[in-house]
Amino acid sequence: MIKSAPRTASEAVIALKKLSTAVPVAAVVLGSGVSVLDKLIDSTVLPYQDLFGMAPGVAGHSGTLTVGRIVEGGPLVAVLRGRFHLYEGYDWPTVTLAARAIVEWGVPNLLLTNAAGGLNLDYSVGDLMVLTGYRDHLSPELKDSGLLPAIAKPITDCRNQLSQKLINVGEALDITTPAAELRPLRQGVYAGLLGPSYETMAEVDMLRKLKADAVGMSTVPEMLCCDGTKTTACAVSVITNVWRPEEAMGGHEEVLEASKNASKRLDKLFRAVLAELS
Amino acid sequence: MKLRYAKRIDFTGTCPEFDFFEKFSDATIDLIRNKEKAEVVIVIDHAYGFSPSHLKDNQEEPHIVSDHLNLMGNNPLVGPNNPIGQRFPVVNNIYLSAADTIDQEETWTMGNPLSKLRSGIAAGVMPGLNPDQEDLELLHRMGAHFYNWNTVPTMIVAAHAGLKVLALAVPVGGVLPDQVLMAINR
Repeated sequence: MIKSAPRTASEAVIALKKLSTAVPVAAVVLGSGVSVLDKLIDSTVLPYQDLFGMAPGVAGHSGTLTVGRIVEGGPLVAVLRGRFHLYEGYDWPTVTLAARAIVEWGVPNLLLTNAAGGLNLDYSVGDLMVLTGYRDHLSPELKDSGLLPAIAKPITDCRNQLSQKLINVGEALDITTPAAELRPLRQGVYAGLLGPSYETMAEVDMLRKLKADAVGMSTVPEMLCCDGTKTTACAVSVITNVWRPEEAMGGHEEVLEASKNASKRLDKLFRAVLAELS
Repeated sequence: MKLRYAKRIDFTGTCPEFDFFEKFSDATIDLIRNKEKAEVVIVIDHAYGFSPSHLKDNQEEPHIVSDHLNLMGNNPLVGPNNPIGQRFPVVNNIYLSAADTIDQEETWTMGNPLSKLRSGIAAGVMPGLNPDQEDLELLHRMGAHFYNWNTVPTMIVAAHAGLKVLALAVPVGGVLPDQVLMAINR
């Protein structure tokens, strides 16, 4: 049974405007287990229940929106902890509700995060990957056509000034970060699949042939709904496992643990990038 | 897991019940999920569009499914999670191979009939969909050796319930050798 949110994006924006009269310079959506931008200054918190009329049901998502500043006098940001997914049975308007509310609120920058399985064999658990492109294998029309048209379609290029800023800042941070935390900031293609079952090895091989570097079950809907709007969207994947034939795949707990460990570096990256936005 | 230890195999030939096209039957899902009744789900499904590399003497032949690509654009686990399995089930290594089915001591005098079947990767496509030649070539390039309609959703539900799957893909007009059917019944 398909589930719909009881509120519209416009209704959510009314609640957002009550929460903050000023429009944030950026909104950040946090995926499974990703925890960054804690302890914002002058912060106010709104549960999703009050914002969207419902709360996310997946472990690792707290389901709140926080508006605050990363430093005293710094830019205002909104942090959304959790999202709604198609695999939970939500319809497309619900899955894109938060992103559409951010667009309608007039937020100019949207930074999306997700936990993703690594397809690129050069990657390691805990790597951060800035999306330069994505493959859409979960749009609603694919329910009617099947995935063959999606496979035949080329990668969607999603590079923009915001993703470039992430890359530039991330590369600069790598130089100055203590050696123990030193990791190259990856750039790659994300494949958005419906889920909720993880990929088979045959699917992993197929996605590699399609030049995808990471695979997950979110983000693409939000990226798509920012197309053609004044909100620039970019995304970072936290690589929570790397698909190798000789290694057994862990479960969601492994994903949450890997996300937690990578969150410190992502926190540094986002704070540095947000400080540059005005 | 050895099939010979199975107390009973419900070999009803009810493949059409698994048809996603008409809706994946709740009763069928309940049957698969009933661990009291089964440890192994056996799926015998029609297969189409065999890769030229998987023809024998230019003829299509029955295969054991070794893995799959879910290209249906859907997944039977979408929606609230049934507590019988995890929200995000790992579906690798679910398919039984011929070697899994009969141990060496029990090898038939003529050899394990299942091991005489070739194994291949199934692409699960929307029931009723018959890909054209261009799509077929794409499927084969992506690693599929044939496509079918019912195996993949059945397998996903079984994997979610912690069951193994013995999936046989039979070309239209083809039949499973008697020895294979006897081996399955064992």
